[in-house]
Amino acid sequence: MSGMDAILHGGLQGYLVVALLLFALGLATVLLRRTLLLQFMGVELMLNAANVALLAFARFRGGDAQATVFYLFIIAVAACEAAIGLALVIGLFRHRDTTDSDRAASLKQ
Amino acid sequence: MSLTPSQWAALLPLLLPALGACLIPLMALDKDQATAKWIRGVMYGTALLAVAASFWYLTDLWKTGAQPSFFQLRMDRLAQFSGIFVVVAAALTILQSWDHFHQEGWVKGETLSLLLFSATGMMLFTASTHFVTLFLGLELFSIPLYALVGTVRARPESAEGGMKYFLTGAVASSCFLMGGVLIYGLSGTLDLSAAAGVLKAQGLALDPLALTGAALLLLGFLFKVSAVPFHQWTPDAYEASPHPIAGFMSVATKGVAFIALLRIFPSSLAPLTAVGAKMQAVVAVLAVATLVLGNLTALVQSNVKRMLAYSSISHAGYLMLGFVAGTPAAHTGVLFYLVIYLAMNMGAFGLLTAFGLVGEKTTFEDLRGLGWKRPAMGFAAAVFMLSLAGIPPMGGFYGKYMIFRELVATGHVGMAVLGVLASLVSAYYYLRFLVALFLQAPSAEAERLASDRPAVHAPLAGATVLVCAAIVLAGGFLQFALVDGFAKRALVEGLGLIR
Repeated sequence: MSGMDAILHGGLQGYLVVALLLFALGLATVLLRRTLLLQFMGVELMLNAANVALLAFARFRGGDAQATVFYLFIIAVAACEAAIGLALVIGLFRHRDTTDSDRAASLKQ
Repeated sequence: MSLTPSQWAALLPLLLPALGACLIPLMALDKDQATAKWIRGVMYGTALLAVAASFWYLTDLWKTGAQPSFFQLRMDRLAQFSGIFVVVAAALTILQSWDHFHQEGWVKGETLSLLLFSATGMMLFTASTHFVTLFLGLELFSIPLYALVGTVRARPESAEGGMKYFLTGAVASSCFLMGGVLIYGLSGTLDLSAAAGVLKAQGLALDPLALTGAALLLLGFLFKVSAVPFHQWTPDAYEASPHPIAGFMSVATKGVAFIALLRIFPSSLAPLTAVGAKMQAVVAVLAVATLVLGNLTALVQSNVKRMLAYSSISHAGYLMLGFVAGTPAAHTGVLFYLVIYLAMNMGAFGLLTAFGLVGEKTTFEDLRGLGWKRPAMGFAAAVFMLSLAGIPPMGGFYGKYMIFRELVATGHVGMAVLGVLASLVSAYYYLRFLVALFLQAPSAEAERLASDRPAVHAPLAGATVLVCAAIVLAGGFLQFALVDGFAKRALVEGLGLIR
């Protein structure tokens, strides 16, 4: 109960641990999975891990408005990245009929 | 919140390319491939006009010596320097891409629009120490580049190269963001130069979180300059993208990443000397790895664009050596080298367009005998390759010389020797380019194919190549004027590094 309590009520450490876990999880997804869509989700997870950390710090600093606005910008940037990323996945799928990143290996010496 | 006229003058160089980028898609609404030539002409004209207007405002700022700094924007000399750098690279790219996309039969307005957005992002990226602006600038120039790599959708390799660049680039951006957030969390301010002061005052300089944050920021920069071990995307992305875009990526991305690195690490985070020393050690190790790996891999490439990609990786190594030396003179050398690098690399990629080499792969075989057929282009090729290899009368030599001299002066003699050896090795693959151009006769098969095709007509790309050759030669013969008038003033008056 007390651990949960700390996370829910102002315990900065809890949020940071969650953020770093999400970040590591996202990185592992990008590096280990071989499906482009899942790798792409890993990237989004990494961005949002940074968001969690940012908002936790902002709240810890007494609700820093600048950081909260920055959070909105990051969401918008993530949306732009999603648009480009999905377009590239679809473009690749049209040529190859697969979203397996191991099979996208025609660019070699 | 109203802006004074001088503030507008500082903001316009950023706004004008963005405005042009918004207008061009409206013109491209027409059926793309079949658009009348005058519409294409107007699109390219608008792009050039936006870039030229931005250039005019930047040079105007430079001449008056004004360094407006307002809100999060710092249009100081260094920002103006990098603005001019980016705008020139963008103009050369636009001119070359007119010829290249016509050869490829894929002329689209979106390409120009993305290019202009990317140029805006690059200027923004180098004109701030505030983390929000830095991150937005980084994303504003990276996201259009992901799309530009995959712009010729008809070719399967194009989407593949774009995808690889996108995935690795997005990971690097996320790391950069996380680094900035960690530094914000410890210091409570998003402005990096203020944050450095706070961290020093609170004695948090060697806090593991602060170190992790600084390391993640550095990772973001090193990814953009394609330093080992973050270089894997470079050859694939360059090979997949159209020649002018590959040139723009190799020159402008690397240039602004180095200039922003200069603004953040030696300048803004200067109060954190302990962190700076650690980061310098990391950069030293990675610079050595980059030099060795880039040069050795370039030796065995048969594809010209992959060779140029590995060559651009090894040039990142030489530039990083300038940061290892870390003296003001070395930083001046880095800026001078970037200017020469702009000319020689845009020129080298422009040559591929000027020779009319389109298609899946551009190998050394395709270059055979072309030097004699187009003597002016052949001469320019000789200038670029000798300069890239660092042979004395060319500009590239003086850039390397300034960096190596400072390395020796600061006691990094071993690294300077390694740098010289690396340049010697690199001479092999640059001369291979010239050997193919001048000393090897084209195969009978290639001659037959060439006589079937219409003659190559690339006047704009040819003109940009000659302009680049002139800059490289000027860098060789007038280097002191360029260094004192341009590079040094950017550092002294912009960053105040030389006190």
